[in-house]
Amino acid sequence: MTMKRRRAVFIAACLLPGLLLFALFKIYPTVQVFHKSFYQWNGIGDKPVFIGLDNFVEMFQDDTFLLALRNTGFLMLIVPIVTIAIALINASILTRSKLKEKSLYRTVFFFPSILSFVVIAILWSFIYHPTIGFLNSGLEFIGLGEYAMSWLGDQRTVLWALAVTLIWQAAGYYMVMYMAGIDGISPDFYEAASLDGATRLQQFMYITVPMLWEIIRITIIFSINGVLSISFVVVSIMTAGGPDRHSEVALTYLYAQAFTNSNFGYAMAMALFIFVISMLLAFLSNRMTGKEAN
Amino acid sequence: MKRNKGVKLVLALAVLASLLAGCGGNNGNNGNKGESETPAEQTGANSSNGDEAGSKSFANPQLEVAVFQGGYGREYWDAVAESFMQDHPGTKINITASPKIGDLVRPKIVAGNPPDFMYIAGGDNTPVLNGLIKDNALLDLTDVFTEAGEDGAALKDKILPGILESPAIAPHGDGKIYLAPYNFGVMGLWYNKALFDAKSLASPKTWDEFFAMNGAAKENGRALFTYQGMYPGYLEEIIVPAIYNVGGQEALDQFFNYDPEFWKSDTFKQAFGILERIASEENALMKGTVALNHTQSQTEFLQGKAMFIPNGSWFEDEMKDAPREDGFQYGFLGVPSLDPAKPVTALTSVEQMVIPAKAKNPELAKAFLKYLYTEKSITLNGEKAKGVLAVKGAPDLVKAYLGDTTYNVYKAVDSGMGTVNGTFKIVAKGSKYIPADEVYKPLSSIINKQMTLDEYAEKLYKIYADIQEELKASAE
Repeated sequence: MTMKRRRAVFIAACLLPGLLLFALFKIYPTVQVFHKSFYQWNGIGDKPVFIGLDNFVEMFQDDTFLLALRNTGFLMLIVPIVTIAIALINASILTRSKLKEKSLYRTVFFFPSILSFVVIAILWSFIYHPTIGFLNSGLEFIGLGEYAMSWLGDQRTVLWALAVTLIWQAAGYYMVMYMAGIDGISPDFYEAASLDGATRLQQFMYITVPMLWEIIRITIIFSINGVLSISFVVVSIMTAGGPDRHSEVALTYLYAQAFTNSNFGYAMAMALFIFVISMLLAFLSNRMTGKEAN
Repeated sequence: MKRNKGVKLVLALAVLASLLAGCGGNNGNNGNKGESETPAEQTGANSSNGDEAGSKSFANPQLEVAVFQGGYGREYWDAVAESFMQDHPGTKINITASPKIGDLVRPKIVAGNPPDFMYIAGGDNTPVLNGLIKDNALLDLTDVFTEAGEDGAALKDKILPGILESPAIAPHGDGKIYLAPYNFGVMGLWYNKALFDAKSLASPKTWDEFFAMNGAAKENGRALFTYQGMYPGYLEEIIVPAIYNVGGQEALDQFFNYDPEFWKSDTFKQAFGILERIASEENALMKGTVALNHTQSQTEFLQGKAMFIPNGSWFEDEMKDAPREDGFQYGFLGVPSLDPAKPVTALTSVEQMVIPAKAKNPELAKAFLKYLYTEKSITLNGEKAKGVLAVKGAPDLVKAYLGDTTYNVYKAVDSGMGTVNGTFKIVAKGSKYIPADEVYKPLSSIINKQMTLDEYAEKLYKIYADIQEELKASAE
């Protein structure tokens, strides 16, 4: 009894600092965000004025916010799907095939994950550079010069260009997670399947994917949330939301409202909305994938 | 049972206390160190050689000064504070300088304990100023500029013409000065002077002459024009002088004070038509411009990929490490005129210094502010910051410290080249509109030929009407 008690006290004492910091730096600010979203407040000297739901009403009449939301939605849809598909395929090829340079590829694909987002964004803004960029020079080199364009300067291509950067950044990370998962699948399954004449593709579809399903479910949520936060860095550096706001994402617009326009209340309303949306998405994807797994 | 709960609580409290003490202690120490160490030394040096001559004493001799530490550095502020303390013995100035000065002063302002004097600049920091303006939380500085100084002349007569009337200085449009002008910048088009001299090209005086140079540009293997594509806000350096050129101050007021009718005016069509022309004429716009950030486009310009680029008097210093074509020499042209009868014009801007309304020592802050406009301080500013105060004759006072190019830019404006300045009127509190973004960001689409001038005008008409309505509503 006393032993148990002392253990509990010790555990509590160990947990406390962490919990305290968590409460101070995560929970308290989040509560503040919710609270301030009902106020008109410039974040500087004035007394916040309670304005009820006005910020939220305004938000849905704000064309820029809706455009930013649409852009974010596009990225949240495309990036996780493609990232996870590429990561899965790469993981499966690297683990299931007898490639000698396996570990080299693993390192190379994982490499972007250890670079900072800022470095990645600067790197890609030079890859897309319209005149000296690797992409356009490459196209010209293989005789497709007519397809060279200013990828980040055109509203038709800018989001796709950003999506490619985000996918490149994340695919290696998820690949390593999947590889660890695949290593945990008993080789007997694959052996049995191949004895029964299952092709590589069938093995992938009916063994690898189902066995990894729990990991995939989690990575979908990770990826959706990752897009939300990483897109802020990438957009700020690579396009500043341009051209003409066609790559503005929710968080860059939120930032501009809070820190350029000193419109904190409004920005907090957006933050609350984005919070709800991402919770909802996580929940939804969990539900959907959960059912399929059964 | 009870005892255990008690132990838990005590433990929890102990951990909490130690944490908080840790945080608080550290913060306190850091804050004090940064602020007090240097001034303490300075006052020490001061009291020994201070003389009483010509200085009145201040009820409160402490002054808290917060300054932006950007391209101009902090050396000037340290030097001028020391000089002020020598001339006013017994006073003590504490200087806090940071590139993120906005983040540093924001919590102090929120807590109702702002510094006595602030110089705030840089995109990350100026929103703090805008917030203070919207809140009417700045001290009225009009008397500093209108009352007669020691030599009998009012300070306002020493400041460059037009500056004190501009909305950057008198933001509420009632002529009252809430922001004091500091360094003064000049913006316009730049070219490679070496190239122009070698090919005996004359810099264009009108936009027609500008476009006529497209042939020469092509011959020299470059596009006519580029700009900082990712940040279309740089195009104001062309747009604002063009509006002023065609429609005069009246049109400019319409533009900056949100008169929706501006977007239906002929002035709008002519001024913004320049961009449409740049977008549509062959070889006029450097390929890929819209996707480039400021450093990338400026580097392309230095390397001879484009003939002209808009930028400000900081250009030479900003790009000092960038690669460039052989023999490159900076040439500043201003902005060509649409009307051949009118002069080439440059856009000017001025940095701002303020005294918060809640400052604890406004009297000393005002004295310090006046001191900044003395010849001694202007020279120090040139020497330590390579800056030019918005004071008549300042370029000549600091000539020795400026690069030739930079000096010539200021001199051009001092002698003959027209100048224009202006800022958007502050929008209503809580407005979602960021006027500069609303106006300049869509220009990318015009340059990309994905939006026509008419569509643009229609869009902006609505936005201006909206902003006006919000302003009216908030005034009631």
